[in-house]
Amino acid sequence: MSISLTQRIQPPAALRFNEVVGLDVAKQALLFLAVDPSLAGVALAAPVGAGKSTLARAFAALLPDDAPFVELPLNVTEDRLIGGLDLEATLARGERVVEAGLLARAHGGVLYIDGLNLLDPGVAAHIMDAMARGVVHVERDGISAVHPARFRLIGAFDPSDGPVAGSLLDRIGLIIPFAPQGDAAIRAEVVRRNLRPAGAAETDEANDDAMLRALIELAREQLPQVAIRDEQMEALARLALSLGVEGNRADVFAVKAALASAALAGRADVSDADLEVAARLVLLPRATRSPQPAQVEQQPQPAPNLAPNPDHPADDPSNTPADQKQTPEQIEELLMSAVEADLPADLSNLPFATQRRGRTGSRGVALNDRRGRFVRAVPGPLRGHKIALLPTLLAAAPWQALRATAGDRLPDAVNHPAPVVRITREDIRVKRFRDKAGALFIFVVDASGSMALNRMREAKGATVRLLQNAYVHRDQVSLIAFRGRAAQVLLPPSQSVDRAKRELDVLPTGGGTPLASALWLAWQTVRQARSRGVEQATLVLMTDGRANVALDSAHPDSGEAGPEPAGADKEQIVRQVQQLARRIACDRINAVVIDTQAGYLSRGEARALAGYLNGRYVYLPNAKAHQIAEAI
Amino acid sequence: MSRPAIANQPAVEPAFPFTAIVGQDEMKLCLLLNVIDPRIGGVLVMGHRGTGKSTTVRALAAVLPSITRVAGDPYNRAPEDIQEAPSTLPVNGRANGCAAGRPKTERIPVPVVDLPLGATEDRVCGTIDIEQALTRGVKAFEPGLLAQANRGFLYIDEVNLLDDHLVDVLLDVAASGWNVVEREGVSVRHPARFVLVGSGNPEEGDLRPQLLDRFGMHARITTITDAALRVEIVKRRRAFDADPFAFAAAWEKEQRALRNRITRAQKALAGVELPDEVLTRIAQVCMRLGIDGHRGELTLARAAAALAAFHHSPRVSWQDVVAVAPACLRHRLRRDPLETVDSDDRIERALQASAAEA
Repeated sequence: MSISLTQRIQPPAALRFNEVVGLDVAKQALLFLAVDPSLAGVALAAPVGAGKSTLARAFAALLPDDAPFVELPLNVTEDRLIGGLDLEATLARGERVVEAGLLARAHGGVLYIDGLNLLDPGVAAHIMDAMARGVVHVERDGISAVHPARFRLIGAFDPSDGPVAGSLLDRIGLIIPFAPQGDAAIRAEVVRRNLRPAGAAETDEANDDAMLRALIELAREQLPQVAIRDEQMEALARLALSLGVEGNRADVFAVKAALASAALAGRADVSDADLEVAARLVLLPRATRSPQPAQVEQQPQPAPNLAPNPDHPADDPSNTPADQKQTPEQIEELLMSAVEADLPADLSNLPFATQRRGRTGSRGVALNDRRGRFVRAVPGPLRGHKIALLPTLLAAAPWQALRATAGDRLPDAVNHPAPVVRITREDIRVKRFRDKAGALFIFVVDASGSMALNRMREAKGATVRLLQNAYVHRDQVSLIAFRGRAAQVLLPPSQSVDRAKRELDVLPTGGGTPLASALWLAWQTVRQARSRGVEQATLVLMTDGRANVALDSAHPDSGEAGPEPAGADKEQIVRQVQQLARRIACDRINAVVIDTQAGYLSRGEARALAGYLNGRYVYLPNAKAHQIAEAI
Repeated sequence: MSRPAIANQPAVEPAFPFTAIVGQDEMKLCLLLNVIDPRIGGVLVMGHRGTGKSTTVRALAAVLPSITRVAGDPYNRAPEDIQEAPSTLPVNGRANGCAAGRPKTERIPVPVVDLPLGATEDRVCGTIDIEQALTRGVKAFEPGLLAQANRGFLYIDEVNLLDDHLVDVLLDVAASGWNVVEREGVSVRHPARFVLVGSGNPEEGDLRPQLLDRFGMHARITTITDAALRVEIVKRRRAFDADPFAFAAAWEKEQRALRNRITRAQKALAGVELPDEVLTRIAQVCMRLGIDGHRGELTLARAAAALAAFHHSPRVSWQDVVAVAPACLRHRLRRDPLETVDSDDRIERALQASAAEA
């Protein structure tokens, strides 16, 4: 009973690469990946039904000689992923036979993952490990083996399901962070192509495919001949710095993307257009900040660097015509002005800006014995656990011959015939589950101007204490701050107390109190977390409760939730807060309101808020941190 | 059956040469000092993604000097360790190589063993040889990764993502230096002394305090922000990707020079003098920082001595101490949630205060 996951992808009904409509940027990225596999992969943001998987399959068909196409199911277990003992073959042949895991099966081809942001952190870690080393190390079931696993990763994700873990995304060279715009003409074309009777127009597109394959082949041959100048590389590195790209991996990807672009165009040197597309596909999606501050920083000191360095062009004079002697700074400026327009006004739409430092650690989803998703079977006592029957039998199987000869028969061999399978306590495997249902604590901290008066320091201190507590209990934490026009997620659900602490340390105060916006964001965060299996959620609100900013167009999709956009009219604001609070209460989200206001100023807003939320109320100025912790 | 059989193991590509790694000097120094004196107790490397953590650790193997072991010993034991046989069981079908008389020896490179995420406990600790049990019904012990790592390095990438029960096993073995396996009526006890090297991204989860304590040094690394250095990184990476063998060959001279320097430092270490006033000041610094226990002082003294040996210096100077103090102490400071001062700044101040007093 073995299902082949390594299919040959040439079904007649499948769409070909060129037939997939829209996703043009994605196609370009995929062509780069076809030319240079060391770009590692393409990550593609796209909503359901955008044709991601069709495109990935069509891409695999472009690769030479029957490259495997392996689709990774999100619920894959570790042994299926990495490989393990093939017991059937082992017993049949009397020697260990190792069965390759999915990662090894994708060797030389495509590993396709739909739902990159829904991937279990443990599974993601294995994928990253394989990408880093090009091999899979199997150290399990008494097996020690190394399988080659160089694959091109195509990962798709729907941004509305939450962010992709930063560490995984960083290892994927080319990133398309925005879902393509819906376009009526394109939609119509999609339908038309898919409705096309089988067989019609086959030939044209088959020719297209053949042409593309030839183009890729040519570009692969061209690639080693393409030269990139030092100042071009430096410009990419500088752009990465200006955009606040973390780590040094992106530079390498950017240079490779530029080279692949040039190779596809049949050129031997890298043009500005190549650099631009590299910046767009590699650096821009990794931006964590807007470029202005960096440029200001650079103003005072570039004097010695601005003069063209006489040593630089000497490296490769053949490729450096006199009119192309640009300094890295000039090239960077050129690139910046070309791609800057694509930088979203709200950087938090970019994957690395919102979650500057990755999402969850595996501690956020601790393994446990009873709940969640079954990930692996481990030896252990049966008491209080669920037995993993198949792994237990598998564990016992190799020893049957040994045990039979050892004569460990039942004492009463007459009444009890020799057992068919001899299972000892050491064989027992119990199920370990990865529990995604840990608790989530969302700290919603008021950083408005009025808080400056109202003990911001204490509020921060209490929050940090609670964070430590959450760490001990392995809960996930998230941090939302609100001030000025709208609230902001400083830390999406994560396990890292350090990060939350750092975000708190640098949290500025001042401005209005957009409480409704904060409640809205908190509610959204819980809903997202619930879609990932987190059941229990608690809001911890640190505020004086004096809302004075209405929910506005900062949340364009807020209409669907009820509160309609409105001016800053006081009654409106109060109504919004009430509505949202009640909705949160209806969704069985626990809430604790920690009132930070000094007693003599209080008009009881925070207490009222706790009422709407159906939550607990704690008065901070009197409370010690540990008392607050107990309240939660 | 359509299972693709994996017959051919991949040709072993050389690792990126240690000496070709740009920047990240603290991490490199920490690793080297642990090679010179394994008693320092390992390195934890924490830092941003994409900064070359695992590349550097995996590069270490190629610059390590060799050790002498009993020929074919699966536990890498030196001839003088062999009196105490771990077990009388055959290992991998062979009689356990500890017959009477002088055992044969061989030189092997210091092992650097990778502990992959998702490794099962039986592979880490060792188990019964399944093949032999299956085919011949014979009980034989098959040593695991801990045996392979004896007298070498055990590397755990993404150490903060390691399964809790494996962490427990590691802590146990690291504390005692022995690995004990009881399975299927087999009882094996073998030495497992190794330098633990862990790496990870602090943003992806914290390390258990007990595990944090195990590491002698804690190297911090960050993104390199110098554009020229970054270009150099890209160039070397591309050259390596294009032809790993040629690239490794081009760096062989530097590699050999470093290897020789390490060997000399190892030999010189025993003769390095630690002046009393330096030792006193080390203790003062640890007291000033309120570090519990004596592991801080010990590690700092050993690391400073290893650094002196690395510089061919006959005695430990205060500069040696200052150079290694942050890496030896930063993970031992008590964590105060309200503390806003960076731990390195606190160490820096304590060092200055001790220097001023003297």
